[in-house]
Amino acid sequence: MSRAWLAVLAAAVLLPMAVRHALATEIWIFAIFGLGLNLLLGYTGLLSFGQSTFFGAAAYVAGYLLKHYETNVFAALGVGIVVGAVSAALVGYLCVRRSGLYFIMLTFALNQMFYFIAYQWTTVTGGEDGMPGIGRPALLGVDFRNPLAYYVFVAALFLLSLWIMQRIVESPLGKILQAIRENDVRAEAVGYDVPRFKLLAFVIGGAFSGLAGVLYSMLFGIVPLEAIGFVFSGNVLFATLIGGSGSFYGPIIGSFVFIWLSESVSVVWERWPLLLGVAFVIVVLFFRGGCVEAWARFWSWRERRRALAGIAQ
Amino acid sequence: MLYALMGLGLSLITGVLNIPNFAHGALFAVGAYFLFSAIHAVGNFWLALVLAPVGVALLGLAIEYAGIRPLYAAGHDYQLLFTFGLSLILSEGIIVVWGPIGFSQLPPPLLRGGFDLGFIFYPKYRLFVMVMAGLLVLATWLFLEKTRYGAIMRAGIESKEMVSLLGIDVHRLFTAAFALGAYLAGIAGALTAPIRGLSPSMGVDMLGIAFVVVALGGLGNLLGAIAAGLIIGVAQAVVALYWTEASVAVIFAIMAAILLVRPQGLFGIR
Repeated sequence: MSRAWLAVLAAAVLLPMAVRHALATEIWIFAIFGLGLNLLLGYTGLLSFGQSTFFGAAAYVAGYLLKHYETNVFAALGVGIVVGAVSAALVGYLCVRRSGLYFIMLTFALNQMFYFIAYQWTTVTGGEDGMPGIGRPALLGVDFRNPLAYYVFVAALFLLSLWIMQRIVESPLGKILQAIRENDVRAEAVGYDVPRFKLLAFVIGGAFSGLAGVLYSMLFGIVPLEAIGFVFSGNVLFATLIGGSGSFYGPIIGSFVFIWLSESVSVVWERWPLLLGVAFVIVVLFFRGGCVEAWARFWSWRERRRALAGIAQ
Repeated sequence: MLYALMGLGLSLITGVLNIPNFAHGALFAVGAYFLFSAIHAVGNFWLALVLAPVGVALLGLAIEYAGIRPLYAAGHDYQLLFTFGLSLILSEGIIVVWGPIGFSQLPPPLLRGGFDLGFIFYPKYRLFVMVMAGLLVLATWLFLEKTRYGAIMRAGIESKEMVSLLGIDVHRLFTAAFALGAYLAGIAGALTAPIRGLSPSMGVDMLGIAFVVVALGGLGNLLGAIAAGLIIGVAQAVVALYWTEASVAVIFAIMAAILLVRPQGLFGIR
């Protein structure tokens, strides 16, 4: 087991002691969401600005089942993953044939389409008020209404997701996706069906988003309309980028920073999205490359100084 | 026609600068609010209608100069994040300055009331907006098509390297294109205010539509953006007659359907 894995495990154990259980749970849920995006952004080079489509769709469908039929938790999660994957397949099918700006605009426009469906279909989704009343049914005698029990469940699912994602990016499939990121023309020339692989990355990313969406709806007991809105897509993108989209563990760090940041600015001022927007702008203008790179830069600067000190002596 | 105006501005920005401008909707909203305040400041609708979009254009100028210029070399991801953050700042800023509750704005006295066409009662102001937006689109098109500066802008869409090799300052071109796009968004917002009133969320609703228009018209295809704007506007009006709730979602569905058949958009070449 690598050092990074040990660090993640330690964080999973220590986090609930440091912050509220709900906040700790949210961090891991957001990290799962970010892992899904990072497969697209970091490994395939696809900038999707519509990840909340899959997150929200899964949250609504699974939330509906949980609310009206008190479905088994695993069934709800399974349904959510499938909904996430299927909606991602639909969106992806339209988008993967385009690249660059077009691709971004399409993922965004389709995100808006799902948003307006959720917004207008009030009998099911509750429209602007959201879909409240989602329970957390007990599983194998464990009562998930206990925040700590639910935290452990989510953290375990996160570790599982992380493991699966690591297997994916290290598999031949992962290598092909990285080849597409580096040079999709060449990948095509070598004989890979690039649009199909991009679609596959979309579907896998959508499945992860779907899982995160269901866990989110169970955490808060409600699916707010924002869960399918484009601001949410922007948030996960921001989290992944500040974590460092080039690195496998980046989304985890990003999720920590983002949830912590939004939690702390939201108590400062009611108009906290403004501060968040300022944070976006500052990061983009001055800290491109994210935390991982900032850390690496700091590290190399320290090493250099040490080396210089050594020479001086 | 308003959609065409929005789409044209966005198409110009995405085409020339090659950045995803997610602040376009916010600029639209700012245009409406600028009009509202300008009317209160100068007490004259017409003067305010001139001033408000100029204010938005100046804002665009500042944004481009301070924020977007350093990001030319960065990837789309950071440009997106920047404009998205900007859109958050602007729309939250509107709430801070003007409050979360929307306003309604009356059209000037000259344009109140409507024409009775026998079978339908058509408000004068809507007619005015239609004519006005039409003239603006025409003026922009003439500017781009017939003037030297317009030619440079169109050349900038085709090939930035070539333009800069010809000794034209590309950065100034970019700033100008962004300001012009912002101006068009601002005036579209200002014109909309007396029809739909002002609300902080008006920009976000418009943003999605503007992107649909650009996607359908073809990226950087200005004539395509105008045509797509008209098509979308008519389609929405027709759908709204029969199924009001779905009229917004239908726009996106139409886009999805068209892109299924023609992935490059209706008029796209690339």
